[in-house]
Amino acid sequence: MNIELSDITRRFGRNVAVDGVSLDVGAGVLGLLGPNGAGKTSLLRMLATILPPSSGQLTLLGRDPRQPADRREIRRRLGYLPQNLGYYPSFTVVEFVEYFALLKEMPPHLVPKAVAAAVEKVDLGPRAKAKLRTLSGGMLRRVGIAQAIVNEPELLLFDEPTAGLDPEQRVAFRTLIRDLGQTATVVVSTHLVEDVGAACSEVALMSNGKVVFRGTPEELTARGEAGQGVGDAPLERGYSAILSAARSAS
Amino acid sequence: MTAVALSRYRPRVLRIEIRRSVVLWSVPLLLALFFFDSFRTAAGLPPVWTVRSSVVTTNMIADFGPFAAGLAAWVASREGRRKTGDLLATTVRPAWARQASALGATLFWLLLTFLAEVAAIYIDTARQATWGGPPLWPVAVGVAEVVTFSVIGFTAGALYPGRFTAPLAAIGGFLLAEIGYHAALGVQPGTSTYALLSPATAVPLGDDGVFYHVAPDLAIAQVMFLGGITVALLGLLTLAPVFRVSYRGLLAGVSRVGRWLCVAGVALLAAGVAAAATAFSLTGTAKPGVSGWDIPALHDAASDQPVPYTPDCAGTTLPVCVQPAFSAFLPAAAAALQPVAAELKGLPGAPVRAELVPDGNGTRNTQGMLFAGMPKPGVSGAPPVYNFNSDNGMAPLWGSPAGTDNAGWRAGFQQVFLSTFLAGAQHAGMNIVTPAQQAVVTGLMTAIGSPAPQFDQAFSGNGQVAGGASLAQIAAAAQRFASLSPAARHAWLATHLAALRAGTITLDQVP
Repeated sequence: MNIELSDITRRFGRNVAVDGVSLDVGAGVLGLLGPNGAGKTSLLRMLATILPPSSGQLTLLGRDPRQPADRREIRRRLGYLPQNLGYYPSFTVVEFVEYFALLKEMPPHLVPKAVAAAVEKVDLGPRAKAKLRTLSGGMLRRVGIAQAIVNEPELLLFDEPTAGLDPEQRVAFRTLIRDLGQTATVVVSTHLVEDVGAACSEVALMSNGKVVFRGTPEELTARGEAGQGVGDAPLERGYSAILSAARSAS
Repeated sequence: MTAVALSRYRPRVLRIEIRRSVVLWSVPLLLALFFFDSFRTAAGLPPVWTVRSSVVTTNMIADFGPFAAGLAAWVASREGRRKTGDLLATTVRPAWARQASALGATLFWLLLTFLAEVAAIYIDTARQATWGGPPLWPVAVGVAEVVTFSVIGFTAGALYPGRFTAPLAAIGGFLLAEIGYHAALGVQPGTSTYALLSPATAVPLGDDGVFYHVAPDLAIAQVMFLGGITVALLGLLTLAPVFRVSYRGLLAGVSRVGRWLCVAGVALLAAGVAAAATAFSLTGTAKPGVSGWDIPALHDAASDQPVPYTPDCAGTTLPVCVQPAFSAFLPAAAAALQPVAAELKGLPGAPVRAELVPDGNGTRNTQGMLFAGMPKPGVSGAPPVYNFNSDNGMAPLWGSPAGTDNAGWRAGFQQVFLSTFLAGAQHAGMNIVTPAQQAVVTGLMTAIGSPAPQFDQAFSGNGQVAGGASLAQIAAAAQRFASLSPAARHAWLATHLAALRAGTITLDQVP
């Protein structure tokens, strides 16, 4: 298992953002669904070793992120795309991706080839030397994806990766994460259930800091057909049915 | 075939930072400021190495300091302003190494620009200077100052990464430079000397470093102080992540940052504070020396010996000799003195030679530290020699060589010479006392075609110059004296010189 969470809790003052989540995730693509404020981003930031959990046991890639040496090794094999991608406008696409490849301590002689491959994968080859300030929001998102995958990570964390992408790019992105999921653990936090249906092998649905559903997209669809979910698509109906049930239970 | 051209070099974070540094955009502005302020100021000073190099730690730092602090703060606050914190937090390289690259790139451009500007001043000086070589201590102090200003700004930007941090750091840098400068100017012997830590004090007198070596004592203390501040701030930057997570306890913070990094941060902080404190206490013991300030614990007494030199001389009637550093002024000085020397030639006590001697002004004079064994300004010795210095009252050797060769300077130089001879060194220049002495000096200068000199006048209650004569009467007597033949003037002076010097000749007795 690349991700092992045992009763993980994260508090911000009196607010409990993640509430006793336990989760084991292996290779494949896990879609993390949930409404705003459900705790997806906090969970993802803990998985990205940015935030330490307030309590519980967290193991990533078989290592304990509380230990500095383990944390460095995890980060070496980690890719992360935050919800709000910060960037340096004067950097070019290649420089930005190269910068992160070097900060991830990839061997310098491998960096140019890895950067070129990552930039090609997100279809930004023709804009490789463009300054980031000249790119559209969708292109910047693709730059963010490129920096996340440049080190061929074993654990990839995407927070709202398709926000701002056009339909064609979203399709390409889904293909990309399906490919990545063949060998790595990919966690995709999103509001867009169609992304989950198209690209994820597994789904976890969060509400009020807890995981209230864990299963395949097909199982989520089935819950919608059995319950009283609302929505245009079968997955949306499953999503809303589970959330309704979770809310009424709490 | 990939559309992205593969780089032929091995990429480095520092290389990317250097290529995309925001400082690069400010270089033209820094160069323009340099040209219009520092370079022009330096070009207006005598081409003496010590004098010209003082611009490095005064004007250049005043221009550079605020920019260095502001730009470094802007670079350091980048992660906060651009919200890249989360993304960077997931990378392997520690924050201190990342910040070191950003600071390194900032310093690379700032120091490159600074050293290029120093080179411009030194090349210009080398083209004009006639003696000596480029002093390196001002460069070392200037570099230390640029680094310190940058690190102060960088620390501010890293700890408070807001959009207003950079302008505030720049304003802070400006105030720091100004406060340091004014505090430094206020330093007097016998008062507190701690303000000497501001390198702005290194404004030398006209001939500092010419007749005596400038002791490096103060420069060493300044570099130690600035270096100490820099190292302490780097330690603080290293430790900053510990305090950021201190809400979970200091020990948790240490654990998250890494024990060895914390040890390194504490060591840097302690070493920096120790160095700065040592420099501070050393500066408190500074006292004026023969050429600048001496710090006993750092001072090498061997450096107090006069610098040997062979003077450059010119002039036939009156050979005029200067230290080779002032050779550029020699033609103008010799040309000015020849006609007046011809009027005095053969008179009792008339100088047979004029020689540039060390300046005795400023701190040394206050301390009564005029150089032992060196002649003072005035006419002295046997045979008599007219000694003058580079800060020669009405006609200092300040200004460019071309600038000294003008009628005003020439007349002033002659007036100082004549009044020193006729009334003594204490009355050199405009402070001549008796109306008869004024008339004779004016008459001699009029006779050789120079403009009539001006004198400070002490008027009595009835509007007359002290001594009972009006300005018109003095002018009339001067005109009478000038209209005499050279032989008649010379004969009268030969007869009445002692009485004229004693002040017993009245205006009516001037022929």
